[in-house]
Formats: sequence, structure tokens, C-alpha cells
Amino acid sequence: MRSPFAYIPRRGPLQSARPGAAVAYLGALVVVAFLYSNPLVLLAAGAAACLAGRLAGARAAVRAALRMGLGLALLIVVVNALVVDRGETVLARLGDWPVFGQVDITLEAIVAGVSIGLRAAVTMIAFAVYSACVDPDRVLRSLRPVAARSALTATLVSRLVPVAAADAGRLRDAARLRGPGAAEVGRGPLARRLLAGSLDRAVDVAATLELRGYSLGGPRGERRREPSRFDVRFYAVAAVVLAVAIVGKVLGADGFRTYPTVQIGLGPATFAVGAVVLASGLAPWRRGGRRV
Amino acid sequence: MSELAIRRGVAPALAVEGLTYSYPRSSAPALLDVSFEVAPGEFVLLAGRSASGKSTLLRAACGLVPHFHGGEVEGRVTVAGLDATRVGPGELAAAVGYVAQDPETQVVSTTVAAEIELPLEMRGDAPGDRARAVEEVALALAIPHLLGRAVDTLSGGELQRVALAAALVTRPRLVLLDEPTSQLDPVSGDELVWLLRRLNEEWGVAVVLAEHRLERCLAAADRVVAVTAGRIGFDGAPRGFLEWTRGDDPMLTTPAARLFSLAEIEPLPVGVRDARRTLGEGSAAPTTVPHPGKGVGGEVRPPSRFRRPRDRRKDPVALRAEGLWVELDDGSGPRDVLRGIDLAVAPGERIALMGRNGAGKSTLLRAAAGLVDPAAGRVAAERMALLTQNPGDYLVRERVGDELPGDAGRAALRAVGMEHAIDADPRDLSGGERQRLALAITLAGRLDGDGVPGLVALDEPTRGMDRGRKEDLHALVDRLAAQGAAILIATHDVEFAAEFAERVVLLGDGIVIADGPSADILSGGWYFATEVARVLDVPGVVTAEHGAAFLGGRASDFNRHIWRKSSEARGAGG
Repeated sequence: MRSPFAYIPRRGPLQSARPGAAVAYLGALVVVAFLYSNPLVLLAAGAAACLAGRLAGARAAVRAALRMGLGLALLIVVVNALVVDRGETVLARLGDWPVFGQVDITLEAIVAGVSIGLRAAVTMIAFAVYSACVDPDRVLRSLRPVAARSALTATLVSRLVPVAAADAGRLRDAARLRGPGAAEVGRGPLARRLLAGSLDRAVDVAATLELRGYSLGGPRGERRREPSRFDVRFYAVAAVVLAVAIVGKVLGADGFRTYPTVQIGLGPATFAVGAVVLASGLAPWRRGGRRV
Repeated sequence: MSELAIRRGVAPALAVEGLTYSYPRSSAPALLDVSFEVAPGEFVLLAGRSASGKSTLLRAACGLVPHFHGGEVEGRVTVAGLDATRVGPGELAAAVGYVAQDPETQVVSTTVAAEIELPLEMRGDAPGDRARAVEEVALALAIPHLLGRAVDTLSGGELQRVALAAALVTRPRLVLLDEPTSQLDPVSGDELVWLLRRLNEEWGVAVVLAEHRLERCLAAADRVVAVTAGRIGFDGAPRGFLEWTRGDDPMLTTPAARLFSLAEIEPLPVGVRDARRTLGEGSAAPTTVPHPGKGVGGEVRPPSRFRRPRDRRKDPVALRAEGLWVELDDGSGPRDVLRGIDLAVAPGERIALMGRNGAGKSTLLRAAAGLVDPAAGRVAAERMALLTQNPGDYLVRERVGDELPGDAGRAALRAVGMEHAIDADPRDLSGGERQRLALAITLAGRLDGDGVPGLVALDEPTRGMDRGRKEDLHALVDRLAAQGAAILIATHDVEFAAEFAERVVLLGDGIVIADGPSADILSGGWYFATEVARVLDVPGVVTAEHGAAFLGGRASDFNRHIWRKSSEARGAGG
């Protein structure tokens, strides 16, 4: 079973773009998430990342990242509400708890938790879209002029991790299929067996690399420049998003304060930044092919 | 010798002189005084039993032995003018390509295009040259549509072609392949062998192919080199090899040659076309050389040996699937792998589950064992023991007795004939023994007194097995079936299926496309048919023994009846 975050080659603009352009585009959304605390802008960034993933065909990755991201956000909200007693709007007094002491649930702590949680969720969704849409081989190939052997090692890791996951699945199945009279297999023996199997695989891969000429000094071919007509689009969108986010920040578009009382800025600047960030999610959109 | 001279055919593509090699910490040499040559553009088939030294010889030819594996080496291996015992596999990479048995272990990139391009990148080729070479080799192997795919979405056959493309992209003069068809269905296996022959003829690439299923590739070979216990036992033409097997190693002969031998027809055929030509010309002549294998009339089993009318709806069942649908998602969206399977298996029945790669065989077994949930319909199995494709997955401890403690464990070991190995380390067992041990692990505690589970299912158990080991497995299957277990084996091996199965269920794209007596199913087609069936084209005649009885005029009344029906059908058709 493939991971929902595994890269799947497609012909979409995001997959066709050079890794630098894709990283710049998705990275701009992450920068916005760390630059702003205003939930409106954070929601716009999250929606943009989801939209980008959906338009790029990475629905499974977006779904999985949403599940994980929102789960993490909820956890952050709960923990923040329990451990932070700042804020004037007390919603509930839960008395003395063994570890936390006096626990007061305040609206401000919950809203602050929502902001931090949204930031984490946006980051996870953006990384999920990156993982599912950007070819790791191209990323690592672009790093080879800097560190050829390290880049190849990273390629192998990105290839062998899913293989090890598949091996682990097979070993778990075999453990389930053992007869009731056979010795039980706990996690320890299974982990040792998986490690031994991974080492065997590593030896096989090392032999393959020898046969491909790795001992001659690692990859040393001149980098092939793969053309993409979408690079300019993603670089431009990333530049616009960053510029608008920085200017907006300077102009006070991130009007957001949680303590002692919640104040969310919803002025024109905030809406403008949110609209631009949200619209940036359309960047991977591709018109249908023309019929001849 | 210069590369140009080699290209002109002056020097051999591979020359092995007096090669003796021992793996590290091994008491006995794996190769002993081996000498042979491969001429440029020659197609050489490397035959031999399991663990005879074929793979070691291939590894020596590409430099992995001794540079990667270590060990002690004597003698000389020359590839493209380079001494492979002195220069490593990296230096030899431009001259020799190597494809191992399991393609999964020799793919290092994420996408197909990157994988094929990697050897050129290592060599320092210019981007334009790399792009052209990748495109050309993809076209030659008919895989341009795969270039953009992720390697972990490929089928076994596709992955094998990608590994072959990565080996060929540097345009080596010699390509070595270690049992490349062992994981492929009959269609993909035949396609790969003929693809190699075409590359051999059109590109002038010398091919050395190690294989167990010789009937698939003997006709494509120019020469056969047989390895016996680390030595060269035979080196010559395919027909001479078949003659050699009569006296020296009958286990290596092909079904068609065994058919001719048993029927006392000469000359022995190297393939289906050759056999049909001999029979068609009526040039069959009695031979005075008896084959040391099964004799005519000795153990001829008519096709009807398994036939018994059965009302499957009323019989007790070991496995029943009704309207079974299974949906799996490989990351590119959910896909129906099984589509409404209806199947009933009776106790004691022996069934071969066949079909091309991806047809749904393994998924059906996994659904029956409860490893995957049906999307619709239902499946139920009576005390099922399933052995999946890799027996090593079951072996997690360092002593056989620790895997199978107590009385239940001992009973399981006895059931598979492995009680003698109770103190052995599973890693020291042979491939066949590891498989039997894994089967014992699945059987442990499911044996009811002296009985066995209701259903024993094996997934591709004959991969990489020679005929001797297959006969051992067949004996084990007979033993379990005799005790009342239904046997369900998913396999691509039509010859093995013809030997052990009374019934064949053929899957295609998740549905049952044929279900009937093995003699009928395995004689009614081209790919899913035994070599003897393809030679004789007589309904119901699938094994060498049947065919010999038929050809020798000693067929049973049933066979005569079948022959009459076949002749009538041909007459009507013609």
C-alpha cells in the first residue's frame, strides 16, 4: 500500500515545474503562515494549500494532511487551553489539577491555540502537497553539483523508506498467518527481522550502485535542464504572495491580539492579504487541452 | 585488445579461464576450474540446478565476484579486454550489463526515467546524449510510456524491463541475466525472452541467460552451458545439451524432450516448433537409448485420473467465495482487484490458481486468509494455512526449534518432514527447506491429531526452484492432500500446475475466466498451456507421460476417444 504522501508523477503544472519553482510557491504559503497570526489569513493560506493540492491531483495527500493537521490543531487548542490561564474571559473553572494546578479555561487561550494550530496545519498541508507533487529525484539531482554522494544517499533513503514500509507490512502479515502452535512474534523479533532484511536490501542496492559505476566517483554528469513553461508562473505567484504578505504586515494587516482580550483585525488590509493568498491556490490550475 | 577489435568480433565478449572461487567463510568452492567463452553477439543459456554456481558465475562476469562479495579467486575472467578479477564492476559497467533475479533490489531511483539515466550520469555523459540514450532504450524495450512513472507503481514484469533498460542503456557488448522470468507470468516471460533475442540479433549484444525453466528459452539460445556443482558439465549446442541430459542430469531436460525420449522419437526437439516439425514430417524414428526418467507405461496417468463428477454446492467446502469484490488503493485511487469471484474448493481438492501478473491471485488468497477485507460479497475458509510469496518473512528466530516449540510445533515439523533440522539456524537451510519450515510455521497448531488444515494455500512457491525441488514440493502437496487438506496454489508455472493440480482456476483482471480440469485448461491455449500441450495440440494431453502414451499408441481408451474427437473437430473445422 502506497503512502498518500508518496510522489506520483503527473502532467500537472506543479509536477512539471522545476523543484525550485515548486518549493518557492509552496514555501511562500508556509512563510505567510509563520508571518501572520490572524486566523483569517491563516485560513486563507490553508485553503490555498488545499486548493493547490487538489488542482495538482494530490487529493489523497491533502485529505491525509487535513486529517493529521486538524487533529494536531485540536490537540494544540486543548493543551493551550489547559496550560495557559491568561485571558479575561473565563469560560470554565476546573479547579485544582494534579499537574496543572488551578485550571481556568479562557476564550483567549482557546483562540490563541486555534491560531497556533492553524499555523501547524497549513505547514503540514503544504509539505504534503510538496511530497506528493515534487519529484524527489529532480530535487536531489539539483543538489548533486553541491554534494553528489550525499544527494544520492538521500535519493536512496527516499526510495528505500517505502520499501522498508512494504517489508514491514509483509512481516506483519506473516506474523498474523503463523499457526497457533508456532512461537509468537512480538515487536522485538519483528523489528530485528526488519532491520536484518533492510540490511540485506542495502547490500543489494550497494551492489547495483557498483554495477552502475558509482565507484567511479558518484554522479558527475552535467545537470540536465528540464524545460518547464510553468516556472515563471510559480516564481511570480510566490513573489506576489510574499510581497503582499510583507507589505500587509507592515501596514497592520496582521491585527491580532489574544491577551488580555481577543482582538481580531478584520480591516481591508487583512481581507486584501487573505484574498491574494487564497487566490494563489489557483496557481496549479491548468486549462483543458484544446481540441484540434 | 581494443574495444573496436572486440566490436568487430575479434575477441570474445566474455572469456573465463580456469576460474575457481570460494565465498568468504565457505569451506567448499562455489566454482571450480571453470573455463568457457562467449563470442560477440552470441546468446548463451546457462543451465543448472539450484545452487550449482550459475549466479556466482554471472557475478564473476560482471565483477561483483570477488570485488563486492570478497572471497578467494583463482583464474581469469576477461570482459571487453578487461580482467574482471582485477578491475571492479564500476570499470566494467560500460562493457557489461547485469540484471538480477529480483528487480526490486536493483532499482535505486524514484522514477523510471531517473533510474535508466543513472548509469549515464555516473559515467559523466552529456545531458543531450543521456536524453537520447534513455529514449532509444525505452523504445527498444517498448517502455516509453513508463518513463514518467514512479518505480513503486510498476508490476513485476514492468520493473524487470526497467532493470533491463538500465543495464542496456550504456550499450554494453554483454548482458547477463539471472533468472529474469522467475517472477513473470508465462506471457511476460515469453515476451522477455524474445525481446532479448531481438536485441541480441539487432544490437549484436551477447546475452548470457541463467534460467530454470529451460523450455522457455532453449529455442532462442545459440549455445547452452550447463553448470554442475560448480563445474562446467556441458558446453555446446541446445540439441547436444538435451542429449547430455539423458545420461548426466535428466532433471534439466525440457518437457518436449522428455516427451520425445519417452516416445522413443529422435531427434530431441529444442522447442515447440522443432517438435511439431519433426512430428509433422513423420520422421520420427525409434531410439535405442532409453531415458532414465519415467518409462513409457510406467506411470502414465490418463487425463481422467482426477475427473470425478461433483456437485460442488452440496459438498463440504474448504473455501467458498460468493460474489467477492476486493478494492485496493495503490495511491493512485481505489481499484477493484477482485470483481465478483465465485469459487468453491472441496476438501482434498488440488487447485492451481493461474493468471497473468496483477490478475488478482494473491489478493484472492489474502482475502481468504482475512488479510484484506472484501468490499462486497463474502469469503470463508476452513482452518486455512497460507504461505505467502517470501518464506523468509516467517523466519524471525535463529533456531528452528525456537520457531516451533512444544508438541504442536513438533507435529508441524513432522508434517513437512523437517524434524531432523530442529537445531539448525533457519538461515543455513536451503531454499526448499526454508519453504517447508515456513509452511510448518503456518500449520503449527492447526493440525488436528494426524489431520491437516482444511485448506493449505501457497503463493508462487516454485519461484527459483529447479525441477528436483519442485518434485519435493509436489510430494509434500501429495502428502497433505492425502490427509484431507484442500490445496490451492497460485502459480505461473504451467508445468508444475499440470503435475500437481486436478483443477485449474484461471483469473483475468479480477474475474474467473476459466475453471475446469487441469488437463482441459492447460491444453486449450497457448500461453497457459504446457510445452507438451503446445507440441501435440490434443485436448487433455498436458504432460510428457500422457503425450508419450498417446504418441506410442499406448493411450488409454479415454485418450483414443479424445484423439478421435479432436480429429473430428479438426475435420469439421478444416
